[in-house]
Amino acid sequence: MWFDPGCLLLHVHCIDLYNQMNKPLFILLCVFCCIQSHAQRGFAFNRLSTEDGIGLASNDVRSIYQDKKGFIWVGTANGLQRFDGSKFIHFSTKGDPMPHTLVTQIIPEDSNRLFLSMVTVHEFGIFDPVSFEYRKIPLKPGKEISSRADYLPWKDNEGNIWLTVTRHGLMRYDKKQRAFVDDNRFDLPKGWETVVRTVFVDSVKKQTWFCTDSGLCVYNKAANRTWYKKYNPGRLPIFFNSQLQTGMSRLFIDKRRRIWGIVWNPGSGRSQAVCLDENGANTITQDTAGINQGPAGYMELHQMYETKSGGMWLYGNGVLFSFDNEQRRFNYIGSDADVTQIGISYESIYQVIDDKDGSIWIATNRGLYYTSAVSGSFSVINILFDNKNNPTDITDILELDNGDYWLTSWSYGVKTLDRFLRKKENHLFATAPPTNWTAEQKGNLKFTWALCQQKKDGKVWVGCNGGVLMLYDTLKRTTQYLAPPAFGKTTTRYITEDAFGAIWFGTQAGIIFRYQNEQFTELLRLNAVIHKIFFDNRGMMWVATYESGLYAINAASGKIIHHFTATTGNNKLYANSGYDIEQLNDSMIVLAAGALNFINKYTGTVKLVTYEDGLPSNNVMRLRMDDNGYLWIITSNGLCRYNPTNNRITSYGRRDGIVLAEKTNTADFICKEGYLIFGGSNAMIMFHPSVFSNTQPPPDVTITDFKIFNQYYPVDSLLQDDKIKLKSDQNSVSINFASLSFMQRDKLTYYYKMEGLDEDWIKADKSMSVNYSHMPAGNYVFKVFCENLEGIRSPNITQMPIFIKPPFWRTGWFFSVCLYVIALIIYVVHRLRVNKILAVEKIRNNVARDLHDDMGSTLSTINILSSMAKSKMTTEPSKAGEYIAKITDNSQRMMEAMDDIVWSIKPSNDSMQRIVARMREFATNVLEAKDMELEFVADETLFDVKLNMQARRDLFLIFKEAVNNAAKYSKATKVDINIRPEGKKLVLQVKDDGTGFDVNNADGNGLANMQKRAGFLSGNIDILSNEGSGTIIKLVIPVS
Amino acid sequence: MNRFLSQKFRFYSFVCIALLTFVHGYNLKVGYLEAASLVEEPLTFTTFFEFFMANGVLRFRIPLLFIISGYIFSLQDNKPYTFMIGKRFKTLMIPFFIWSAVGLLITYTLQQFPVTAQAVKDAGMDQLGDNRPYNEIGWLGILHRWLVVPISFQLWFIRSLFIYNLLYPLFRWGVTKIPAIWLIATFILWAMQFSYLTFEGNGIFFFSLGIWINKSNYPLDKKPAWFSAYLAWVCFIGFAMIKSFMAFELENTNLTKVVLIALYAATVISGLLAVWFSLDELVKWCMQRKWFLWLSAFAFVIYGMHVPLIEYLTMLMYRYMNTIPNYRLLVYLTAPAIVLAICVITGVLLRKLVPKFYRLATGGRGF
Repeated sequence: MWFDPGCLLLHVHCIDLYNQMNKPLFILLCVFCCIQSHAQRGFAFNRLSTEDGIGLASNDVRSIYQDKKGFIWVGTANGLQRFDGSKFIHFSTKGDPMPHTLVTQIIPEDSNRLFLSMVTVHEFGIFDPVSFEYRKIPLKPGKEISSRADYLPWKDNEGNIWLTVTRHGLMRYDKKQRAFVDDNRFDLPKGWETVVRTVFVDSVKKQTWFCTDSGLCVYNKAANRTWYKKYNPGRLPIFFNSQLQTGMSRLFIDKRRRIWGIVWNPGSGRSQAVCLDENGANTITQDTAGINQGPAGYMELHQMYETKSGGMWLYGNGVLFSFDNEQRRFNYIGSDADVTQIGISYESIYQVIDDKDGSIWIATNRGLYYTSAVSGSFSVINILFDNKNNPTDITDILELDNGDYWLTSWSYGVKTLDRFLRKKENHLFATAPPTNWTAEQKGNLKFTWALCQQKKDGKVWVGCNGGVLMLYDTLKRTTQYLAPPAFGKTTTRYITEDAFGAIWFGTQAGIIFRYQNEQFTELLRLNAVIHKIFFDNRGMMWVATYESGLYAINAASGKIIHHFTATTGNNKLYANSGYDIEQLNDSMIVLAAGALNFINKYTGTVKLVTYEDGLPSNNVMRLRMDDNGYLWIITSNGLCRYNPTNNRITSYGRRDGIVLAEKTNTADFICKEGYLIFGGSNAMIMFHPSVFSNTQPPPDVTITDFKIFNQYYPVDSLLQDDKIKLKSDQNSVSINFASLSFMQRDKLTYYYKMEGLDEDWIKADKSMSVNYSHMPAGNYVFKVFCENLEGIRSPNITQMPIFIKPPFWRTGWFFSVCLYVIALIIYVVHRLRVNKILAVEKIRNNVARDLHDDMGSTLSTINILSSMAKSKMTTEPSKAGEYIAKITDNSQRMMEAMDDIVWSIKPSNDSMQRIVARMREFATNVLEAKDMELEFVADETLFDVKLNMQARRDLFLIFKEAVNNAAKYSKATKVDINIRPEGKKLVLQVKDDGTGFDVNNADGNGLANMQKRAGFLSGNIDILSNEGSGTIIKLVIPVS
Repeated sequence: MNRFLSQKFRFYSFVCIALLTFVHGYNLKVGYLEAASLVEEPLTFTTFFEFFMANGVLRFRIPLLFIISGYIFSLQDNKPYTFMIGKRFKTLMIPFFIWSAVGLLITYTLQQFPVTAQAVKDAGMDQLGDNRPYNEIGWLGILHRWLVVPISFQLWFIRSLFIYNLLYPLFRWGVTKIPAIWLIATFILWAMQFSYLTFEGNGIFFFSLGIWINKSNYPLDKKPAWFSAYLAWVCFIGFAMIKSFMAFELENTNLTKVVLIALYAATVISGLLAVWFSLDELVKWCMQRKWFLWLSAFAFVIYGMHVPLIEYLTMLMYRYMNTIPNYRLLVYLTAPAIVLAICVITGVLLRKLVPKFYRLATGGRGF
């Protein structure tokens, strides 16, 4: 049943698998069906969809583009997004608002900007990923465009972006006008420009091909003419091919210069592809097989794509073909994700591209798919045995010397595949079982458990249920059936050969038998199911058992040297049930018992590597060392690799083409050529470990996100400057980074360092994100690089300088400003002190001067007068009396002067009230004595005026002089005195109604002194007087 | 002009030129300094000190030299214009051509030896940005560098001075007829760092100020009553320090530029006042020393020759000293001193061996 003819459909291409051990990664998925078998060569597609929660805006993905940095840009039904390997992000744009609508095409414009086509809203625009600026491109047609027009943008050889508008013509993006304008430079036949369907730009020959409803034509730049059927001076054969003149919807020229055409076939009601030679003269059939063998129903080819490595893809509505380089034919890849779970589901394929790693990205109406396939070749085989009646449990695998693979299974016996994985008959039962065997014994031959090929003669041991064994002679093709009495009915679970050629059997009953010299000898009874017997490089026997742990046994004596369990001893296993054993190096044995158990055979110590250490699961089932010393591990969570040099565990999954690993947990084998095979329940995987080795350095790490206090900032824009400058309070940042290799992405190890904070490189965790909180102000450089599994580093260390501004009060310039201000303050204080000293000195000088001027001369006069009076006292008493009267006058004046000096010095007289009061008192005394009427008016606002001591004195003396003059000389009856502020000036006016005088002819010290004192006050004094008309003296001085 | 004023002119001319070596010995990454230059290097003692010196306190030199030039030129404006210009051509332009050629010759010579050629390349001094060996540049390129964009870039000063001398009648008219407007306008040109081709706006204000000081008989040799040495030095050093810190710490915005230019102007003006009016005792002391008088005779040789020597020497010292801690600061302090010594020795030899050429090359100044 299991290997029923027709069930196993493998393909010739697999032959080349073995010839291409070192070629790049490729994947094979074979699906075996026993009932309704079908085989499909295809790809392990990974789907990115809205359900993944990584931000894809819509499953309707129309366009894809990978930029120079490696970001994948996708045009979805809900707008443009960027994918960095972990998430899709929308961009908020500056400039014009970018509609979140169907983006049907993304075309790289110059300067890394993206031209976007959103035909559903008839909008086109250019988006700058660095500045996030989006500019809508208006259409400026010479005539109105039909509402039924279709738009197709494309880019010519010179980098111009064109817009083909049906029912209108061709429009070119004019960078100066920032608009699409009509341009007829292609000189299409009249009327053809309105019916252009598609355009192909041939960058090699600098030609532009137009597929129109009216026919095919080509613009030749060198000739600056467009050739077509009726104008074909070069006699291009393609124009003589009538099949291609109408109904051709797409033309494509591949790297081999073959011309591919997609032509509508009215007969079949579907499109078909044709392939022509370089001239278009002859149809080529070579390498085109299968191209028109798509689905039975409706399909519509739209586009061809040739990858950088030469792979060909053809796709459209309901159809996807890829060219198989091995088989030299096109394979139809149906929409079967629902069936296989690793296929692709689609109704329409809109675009196919290959990224920098060679991975294929496919835009469909059901999500974005990618696969790590390159050029249609395969290097990882996933075989799924779809047996609907019984599960197909592979229990052991063996590669015979002739390259055949034997697989034992429960209830299906031993089956054979040839080296091309094709089903092959074996001759195990060519020799019939002994006739004296019971039916049970014969039946047990189908329940096979273990395989082992003897090195000396190539005979193969097959361990079966119920104590039955088979020994098959591969040369004679005969089988020897054995039922050793010592075995009883115990099932043989494991068979192996030691270095001396002895064959060892481990049984379900826990008995170890040795077969040597055609004798079965019981070595030991362990009373536990034996899963594996392993001889290390020193001949020590290691036995993994079910629930009884691991035994180290002297194979010669049968003595148990060590018994490791999960419950006893200091060095405990993770679990008692061990399934597989490998030797890592001379001293280290690895046991698959739950987690990985590393046992030092010399010290007896056990070290565990568990899920917490990066193991995909704590249920390790199979172990196998490859030729390079890497340990390949099957867990219940898939395949991983342990690198003993750096203790790094790397998982492999769908992205790597490993799809069925978790099912292949019961058998394993390493082939002579290094291939690893794991088998298990309904599944088998096979790969060469070297396909996962990458000798190319990973791309430089890109900073994908930059967050400040968990808020996103446009990292491309920030990186435009020499450094990212942050304010002092923006000092908690998160940085996300990734090497934009979608194939190696999960296999890379990242190391980062924030120079200025971190002393050494730090290994990043899987989140590829790092947070720095409350960074002090200063300059930093964030550095990051990555390393692939082989230890190859990215070529350059990615650097991102960051500057966090200190708060201004912690800057050098602020400190220096403070110092400067302090120095100024010191200067000001010093100046004030000096000024104060000078002021005191000035006062003393003034007092001294006044005393000298006012007192000194008067006292001298008194002294003289008193002497004279004394001398005349006896001789001329009357004269002496005059002298004494003068002395009296002088002393009176001196007293008044002294009174003035003392009054002016006294601080209590500083207020204006006191000045006015003294003025009033003086005027009253003087004028009353002369019997003159006084009217003294002082404005109350005057009291706010401040005058210093000297000014006060000068003001009073001017007043005094004016009043004295009025009293002495004016003969007035009334004197009006008015003192008031006017703005920032003080006005003193003394007016009398006396006789007046001629100001111009006036002399005397009084008036001169008044002028002089007014000058001291920075003021002005006006004297208005005429004889007979009274006098007005008006003093105006500035005050504060 | 009295004797002391004459001594002050000679003293400050020499000091300003000698200090040029410390300005041009500035060795931070971006070597071209403008009033509003920002520093893109981390703030360290070395970087701060060099910037503080070269683009701070030593910035008073060129204005002072222009003031002195304007003053002296205006003293002789009673002589015929053509005579004065002819004389100035001999004392300014002939030395320009000679020292420009010397700079080219030094560069070419150093380009012939691998180590020194690397130093020339690393210095990257070519004003056109083409630092190829002169063998590859061709005669036209050499000619262009000789006459228009000399490798001895400091020669712009005497070329500008010659242009100012040519325009002297205009300067005199402005200073005497509309002094306030003229001085304000030229001050603005200076503050705006105006420059057009070979016409440098930097010196117009100070050259005019020199003329004005002379024409108004301002007593330049006497300390004004309002002058406070303390305040002048506080402002001078304070502004230079604030500006230097700001150049390291502020962002490159228009406001920053305005602030830096304002501080630059304040530094220069306070520096001029501080240096001119408060160091009379030092001037007298120096001018009474024979060695100083002897040394100051070589001011023009130092001026004409120190660039490109200082740049090349700096690169060579980097090459051999970069393992020494603080080697940048060490080089900044020692290279100018070495260059000064080389220039003086060259001057001595030229004066002794080829006195006629020496007279020609120095414009008759170096005796």
